[in-house]
Amino acid sequence: MPGKEVQELLRKGKSYATRTKFKDALFYYNKALALEPGYPESLVLRASVYIDTGKYPEALADCDRALSRDSNYADAWSKKALIMFYLERFEDAIQASTRATTLNGNDVSAWYIKGVCLDEMGRSDEAQEAYGKSLELEIILDIQAESKKVRER
Amino acid sequence: MKTEMPLSKPIRRFITQTEELLDTEISLLRQPEADPAGTLVDQYTYDIDTNVIIFPAQYIGLLKDFVIAKHCTHLLMKGAATKLSAYKVCSYDQDSVYRGMRQIYIDALKDEAKKENKLPVQKLIQMLFILFTHFNDDVNEIPWNAINNASVYHRMPKIRKTQLYHIMKESKHDMDEMMEQETIIPRRYFVMNKAMFYARDMFLAKTLPADELMPVLNIPQMKKFNHLEVKEMLTTRWTQTAWYQSKVFGDNMLEIIDKPLGLVKWDEEPTLEYFHDLYKVGVLVTDNLLSYMTMRDWFSWETPKHLITANENKDEYEKKALKKIFGDLLSDVWEDS
Repeated sequence: MPGKEVQELLRKGKSYATRTKFKDALFYYNKALALEPGYPESLVLRASVYIDTGKYPEALADCDRALSRDSNYADAWSKKALIMFYLERFEDAIQASTRATTLNGNDVSAWYIKGVCLDEMGRSDEAQEAYGKSLELEIILDIQAESKKVRER
Repeated sequence: MKTEMPLSKPIRRFITQTEELLDTEISLLRQPEADPAGTLVDQYTYDIDTNVIIFPAQYIGLLKDFVIAKHCTHLLMKGAATKLSAYKVCSYDQDSVYRGMRQIYIDALKDEAKKENKLPVQKLIQMLFILFTHFNDDVNEIPWNAINNASVYHRMPKIRKTQLYHIMKESKHDMDEMMEQETIIPRRYFVMNKAMFYARDMFLAKTLPADELMPVLNIPQMKKFNHLEVKEMLTTRWTQTAWYQSKVFGDNMLEIIDKPLGLVKWDEEPTLEYFHDLYKVGVLVTDNLLSYMTMRDWFSWETPKHLITANENKDEYEKKALKKIFGDLLSDVWEDS
């Protein structure tokens, strides 16, 4: 577990990232990594910002560093799949997303990326299967979001 | 296309095709508070240079793809109409507001005469314009919704399951609309509002016949629809609602929607002319619905700018129409309240 200070820095970074204030988010993630270099969650969060700003090589480097520390880190595989998709390395994206969904079967994004990449490779039947799983999970998320809205009202 | 998010192949292709046909650009925007049906902010409606499709943040995969497909189809109709003739929407002005509100008032009085618990005058007066604008929104939405859905169904078989979930969700939302005001709203308008949604749902049920909701059966909320087709799902729902005795209105409206849309060749080559024809069908359906509801003199086909201006002036339109209907009586009511 990281120290409290690192956790607080990551929380701040996430808050900025959600509001697409990527420069500020990056500032807090870098600070967290300065305090605890190589902490996988910090690396994957920074990779997300790099993805959102189109810096795919930097994002890939962070994901690979995170995976070298923890090869079973599902989120790192999921982000790696996304990066591979953007780099149009579809076969690598399929491998990474398969690893991500094996480690965390509820990762909508990984199932979706897998479907998209299988589709790109012309593997239509397998793509439909991945899309089906992605849709199932997305609907659950949607129902939960709607229920939350109703409760808040 | 301006986007930093992954999209499935058919959607990417469809966006590119839309941009090429209309010679424009589409941006995609994810927003936590976006409308569940998504929103299209386009250059044919507003004074802007680009087109933006906004959808909820929780739509990560195919739900996002479906919303994009639906709005791209609508954008194509709007753009084709603008380029080949003129894109118009159902709008209103000072005089038509008066005609609509007066009609609603007369119908409300008939209903009130039969009621034991009378609606307070203040509430009755407030209801007139709310109902008027409500119908304006609905006639500008329902025919296009049916067309968009039918088109997406035929052109994008890969997202049909997603579409089914979306339709079920939308249908539930529309069915619940106005239910809380059922005792307040004049019966005629309550029934007509429900009938429009019923007709849209039944048209879609007929158009989307074969698929079952198989991939989503692991979700508890969807289990009750196990082994049912879309038509059965939607019919089951509608037959359980309180207003079902007025089904005859809905069935007539279904015929109004189905007749022109039944002739559309959904698989034809997607050219600008094709989408222009689709737009004309939408206009025809809207006109026929307005005639059936005897609302032809409530709304007229005008530029989108006309409707935006009308919406900006609606307080004034409402006030003037009320003055015309009630004369000096109105000031007494306001003062009493």
